[in-house]
Amino acid sequence: MGSIGMALLNSLDIGLLLFVIAVGLNIIFGVLNIINFAHGALYMLGAYLAYSCIGMWGMPFWLTLLIAPLAVAALAVAIDRLMLRFIYQRDISDSLLLTFALLLILNESVRLVWGTGIYVVDPPTLLQGTVHFPGGITYPIYSLFVVGVGLVFLVGLWFLFNRTRLGKIMRAAALDREMAQVLCINTRTVITGAFAFGAWLAAVGGVVAAPMRAIDPGMGDKIIIESFIVVVIGGLGSFPGALLGAIVLGLIYGLGGRFLPDVNLVLPFVGMAIVLLLKPHGLLGKGAAS
Amino acid sequence: MFTFLSRRPLLALALTGAFAFSPAQAADEPIKIGAIYIMSGSAASYGKFAEQGIRLAMDEINGSGGVLGRQLALQLEDGQGKAAVAIQAARKLVYQDKADVLMGLDSSGVAQGLVPVLPELQKPFIITHAATPDVTGKLCNAYTYRVSVNVHQNMQGAAAVAAKTGAKKWTTIGPDYAFGHQSWEFFSKYLKEKSPDAELMKETAFPRFGAEDFTPFINGVMENKPDGVLISLWGGDLVNFVRQANNRGFFKQGFQVLLTVGAATEVLTALGDQMPEGVWLGTRYWYGAHDNELNKKFVAAYQKAYGTPPSYNAEGAYIAVHAFKAAAEKAGSVDGKAVAKALSGLSIPAPTGTLAFRSADNQALIGPTWGRTGPMNTQDKIRSLTDVQAFDGAKITPPADPACQLKPL
Repeated sequence: MGSIGMALLNSLDIGLLLFVIAVGLNIIFGVLNIINFAHGALYMLGAYLAYSCIGMWGMPFWLTLLIAPLAVAALAVAIDRLMLRFIYQRDISDSLLLTFALLLILNESVRLVWGTGIYVVDPPTLLQGTVHFPGGITYPIYSLFVVGVGLVFLVGLWFLFNRTRLGKIMRAAALDREMAQVLCINTRTVITGAFAFGAWLAAVGGVVAAPMRAIDPGMGDKIIIESFIVVVIGGLGSFPGALLGAIVLGLIYGLGGRFLPDVNLVLPFVGMAIVLLLKPHGLLGKGAAS
Repeated sequence: MFTFLSRRPLLALALTGAFAFSPAQAADEPIKIGAIYIMSGSAASYGKFAEQGIRLAMDEINGSGGVLGRQLALQLEDGQGKAAVAIQAARKLVYQDKADVLMGLDSSGVAQGLVPVLPELQKPFIITHAATPDVTGKLCNAYTYRVSVNVHQNMQGAAAVAAKTGAKKWTTIGPDYAFGHQSWEFFSKYLKEKSPDAELMKETAFPRFGAEDFTPFINGVMENKPDGVLISLWGGDLVNFVRQANNRGFFKQGFQVLLTVGAATEVLTALGDQMPEGVWLGTRYWYGAHDNELNKKFVAAYQKAYGTPPSYNAEGAYIAVHAFKAAAEKAGSVDGKAVAKALSGLSIPAPTGTLAFRSADNQALIGPTWGRTGPMNTQDKIRSLTDVQAFDGAKITPPADPACQLKPL
């Protein structure tokens, strides 16, 4: 029983971290109709900034969690104004090319600034150590914190999109940009804001991941693949889809790695293939917006 | 055809140029070393150390008259850890950049893909890191050499260390490709030879390379209660693994832990004191293990140039350049075939002692170094190694694989 409980908890922290990152990808797709290849690079940037703030300048973790994602969001505003806005109306494949170029530029910039070394960041003192649950389950406090962050974002985002004016404006801009404009919504600001918000989510994921993952020049590429699997399983552009996809992938990693270690390599792709065969737009997807 | 050319004057010019100038090499033109390492992504630090090793050797050689009176120049390509990319890079280095010798390779998977292509390029390739036995076994050819420790040699060392710990029940966690599987296969074989009552568990774990979260595998191993665990993860994977294993108390379970390539300074620097004490680390080369003049000189020069001790990857790359120099001088030319021939059976002084290529399979007869993590080395800011044991390559290397049939050049 203990081992299943432990594997489930483990699946939850893997999944919820992926959710925070992938939901940003989905928001950007929903509002901008852009598949953001550079999303993983923005996540990586968050983690490297966390290393600089915490490891080099001795800033507290909590302040870093506040500042680093905002810095990445500011960069995202610049990216949107200087690059993305020229391709809003173009075919989706153009945005793939552009954001792929962005990914290469960001990857190379990170290598220029921080070098090729592998870095680690310690969790804040408050979150170090492990807790013991009944049934012989031990669980790192930091992983518990990751689960907490994921749940806060889950509730917060649901509230934002369903209960606030801002969320409704974003959804309106996503559904029909021209009609939103006619209704006096400043879609330009909304679109830039949505991209910055998605980037901010990726960077929050990066800062949260920093104390438990190795910070290296390949971490962005790894996470973008996982985020794509999440949105393919859950449905591109769907908010509940991002959650479902992230939980499914978390379970595949957590339970698959624990109980089927010999075939763990193929499990995510088997899962993806099954979903695509049965529901080509993902479990909760409605298909790409035209 | 001609209208096609006339519409594209630049292309026409380029084509004319390509035919007009024959690649006759002047004596003062530098000799070109083409190197392929992982320069981007998670394992990029390995490529960087290799580059530093090459440059140090080149500076030494160029400063003392070069090779056959010519200077050495480096053309470095990013193999990205992908076989297809590395094959393309090798072809580019030979056909476009006119490299005289090739070296590199960080990944066994890449080596398996690239090595069969080498005879077509007709340039010697010196492998300095990738460890799969296949490239000096069933895939061997007369252009492929390896200066670094292979899986056979490292697992002979690992099995000797494992047998001495007295642990009986062993399992493994390794990356899910050639390196991880072959490490376990040969560890099992050699451990059985050394202690026949050792038990090799059926429950093994091979997470995918770059898995990020190793917790499920860590939990699995802990619940299976082995006496010893062989771990062949490397690079960022190993850093992730050690930190997540610390979180679960993996190193406090009382079982022996062997990290087959754990004493990579790339990893030790990243982890600092998070690498626990009392863990057995293997490496192809350990800068503190060899008490000879050449090693002292190499380590001092490296630390002076780069401010960090040389990793095994740096040493492998460094010695490969020197091996090329020795072979070119023996052959009296840098012709690919002549140098490849001269490398066969060559023996040169190296930081690890005398390094000799076995003519049966072109594998260098060298041994790994194993040691146990001790207190922090405050000067280099990494864990020190205690009980250091440098294995003698001549003694521990198994006989050449009969599957390797070298065709004489």
